[in-house]
Amino acid sequence: MDERRPSSWSSTSRTRLRKAARAARSLYRILRANPLTFVGFIMVMFIAILSVLIVGVPFITGLFGTPVGILPHDPNELLPCAVPTECAAPPSLQNWFGTDNIGRDMFSRVLAALPLDLVIGFTVAGFALLVGTGLGLVAGFWDTPGTVGGTLSVAIMRVTDIFLAFPSLVLALAIAASLGRGTVPALIAIMVTWWPFYVRLVRGEVLAVKHLPYVAAARAAGVSGLQILSRHVLRNILEPLIVYYTMDVGTVIVTFSTISFIGIGVPPTIPEWGSMVESYEKLLLTAPWTVLAPGAAIFLTVLAFSLLGDGLRDILDPRSRRALVQTATAPGLPAVKASAAEA
Amino acid sequence: MEPLLRVEHLSLDYEVGAGTFHALRDVSFEMMPGRVVGIVGETGCGKSTLGQAIPRLLPEPPARIREGRVVFQGTDLLSVPKWKMPLVRGTSIGMIFQEPINSLNPAYRVSDQLMEAVRIRKFRESGETEVFRPAEGFDYSKDRPVDPKEAMGRTFLPSPPAARSAGARRGSEELRIDALEYLRLVRINDPETILDLFPHELSGGMRQRIMIAMALSEKPTLLIADEPTSALDITIQAQVLTLMKELMDEVHTSILFISHDLGVIAEMADDIGVMYAGSIVEFGPVGEVFDRPAHPYTKALLKSVPNRYKEDGVLPSLPGSVPNLSRLPSGCPFHPRCVFARPPCEPDPGPSLEPVKGAPVGGGHRAACYYSDEVFRLP
Repeated sequence: MDERRPSSWSSTSRTRLRKAARAARSLYRILRANPLTFVGFIMVMFIAILSVLIVGVPFITGLFGTPVGILPHDPNELLPCAVPTECAAPPSLQNWFGTDNIGRDMFSRVLAALPLDLVIGFTVAGFALLVGTGLGLVAGFWDTPGTVGGTLSVAIMRVTDIFLAFPSLVLALAIAASLGRGTVPALIAIMVTWWPFYVRLVRGEVLAVKHLPYVAAARAAGVSGLQILSRHVLRNILEPLIVYYTMDVGTVIVTFSTISFIGIGVPPTIPEWGSMVESYEKLLLTAPWTVLAPGAAIFLTVLAFSLLGDGLRDILDPRSRRALVQTATAPGLPAVKASAAEA
Repeated sequence: MEPLLRVEHLSLDYEVGAGTFHALRDVSFEMMPGRVVGIVGETGCGKSTLGQAIPRLLPEPPARIREGRVVFQGTDLLSVPKWKMPLVRGTSIGMIFQEPINSLNPAYRVSDQLMEAVRIRKFRESGETEVFRPAEGFDYSKDRPVDPKEAMGRTFLPSPPAARSAGARRGSEELRIDALEYLRLVRINDPETILDLFPHELSGGMRQRIMIAMALSEKPTLLIADEPTSALDITIQAQVLTLMKELMDEVHTSILFISHDLGVIAEMADDIGVMYAGSIVEFGPVGEVFDRPAHPYTKALLKSVPNRYKEDGVLPSLPGSVPNLSRLPSGCPFHPRCVFARPPCEPDPGPSLEPVKGAPVGGGHRAACYYSDEVFRLP
């Protein structure tokens, strides 16, 4: 017991360091034990670093003089065409993803769209997560009919139902169209339509969890309602929620792309994957790379987040986490803790 | 002496789609401090409902308390506002549940949950929060007057992180040491290892020990044990019962022990209440009720306990089945199955809990039967 208790003056920061190192090590083990999660993790890290570089490098170099980007070309720069009437060039060493019909470098355009699409995915899904979780917790936890909470719960759920009654894409399109063309109106449109799914999800999970014996046990132990909600209920619905969120980031990007594809979202001068697919649709047969490159970018981003999200569930659940860590350690090591529990 | 708990004419219904179920009907009993009261009865007779109605843990609706009082240390708990009830639970009335398998939160380590319980108790002991203070005659915590503003500040305003971290760490170390002590109290070997485990890594018996440790770590005045051993297999059951019996002498808590197992009750309880169809039909000191039951139902129940594994033919069983709680028979609810039933048993209202004629005076042996003296005198 004594070695656990930090008694000397310097030990607190050291224990903290050791704790962080242990957490990092176990994260590494979990990722190693689960190859698909590992792939997802690497992909997401790559995407994140890339988008930081795409935005950050021009910004920082801009502080000291002319901004220098990491993209080979400006996404709107018109490259000289070999044949003036037919500008679309297939992928080559100079233009990895080829060029489009007016001579813009597709590789630069696809990469330039990455930060925007990520921001859209995270903000819309994040906003929905916050609003939906808040409303869902209230609606699920205080649902006793006849009380203030019960009335509020019914009100929340009926408003949610109204939103869910419309196909969310159609509703988003209607809102985006009425707000006018642009990135921000499209963003608002998706935000407005996105949260009801989270309310449903969270409420369902809360209803399932709040009748479990450990919640009753916590109540019997004198834990107040708010603490039960935040400590016991929320923690146990986190797993499905995080998984849904990470996958949802991909779905939002697709939906936003769809809105752009229809032509309501971002203006064509701003590179965005959905609007690119839309504007190059005519070239699908003559210059397929112009459509395939942004399409593949959407696909890979969604895939990366889905893989990571699936693995996150295993990490959040103490059961599978322990199992993962134990299988990941050397097989010769005895599983000390598990055997101690049986004693 | 003032009783610790006095349940008076408690009636409770469950209002569900299929109708109104009278889960508790006019339940009255008293519990003296330091006594162990056992409640016994068949499945569905309302014993768990009674156990959960006392600290008001039942969700209302579907549960609805029709009438009655639950006087705990001089305060009627049914008149305490609902938001104050958490302050009664845990430290004043603790509870151990039936399902140890699911009664621990799977997401947290044992230490987190045990320390949460210890923290609740310490917080209330420190007097820094408004604790449940019944009107009079009950010194719940230290008599230091608390400035409400100070209490509010301490409770709700987070202190600056720098100031908090050092204190919080020292605090959590203290909580941990306290938690370890309670694990040792419930005879857990190697408590330091156990403290860092997750519930799914423990066996059912271990989990129930931890639940007991959690309940005891809040030092409850009254502990309600709702079938604490029913979900465990027989050897673990014996271990947990032995543990609880030993703990009773160590911690001096009054216990309301709910079980369907007459043997367990005989072992644990000082007083026993026999429940049938939502009401207590017999109440009295354990030895007396077991030796000379005064209610036909108790008599039949005792007869159906296998006795020393003798091979003496078919085990006697009670004819008929438990009445549907939404359509109870008139009068005495037991009369359709009772061998002593006579015409007066049928009309409403049925018999109420009266002292048994012929039982030792002051023993508190009571039965809800018109012919209790007759049953009592039978061999």
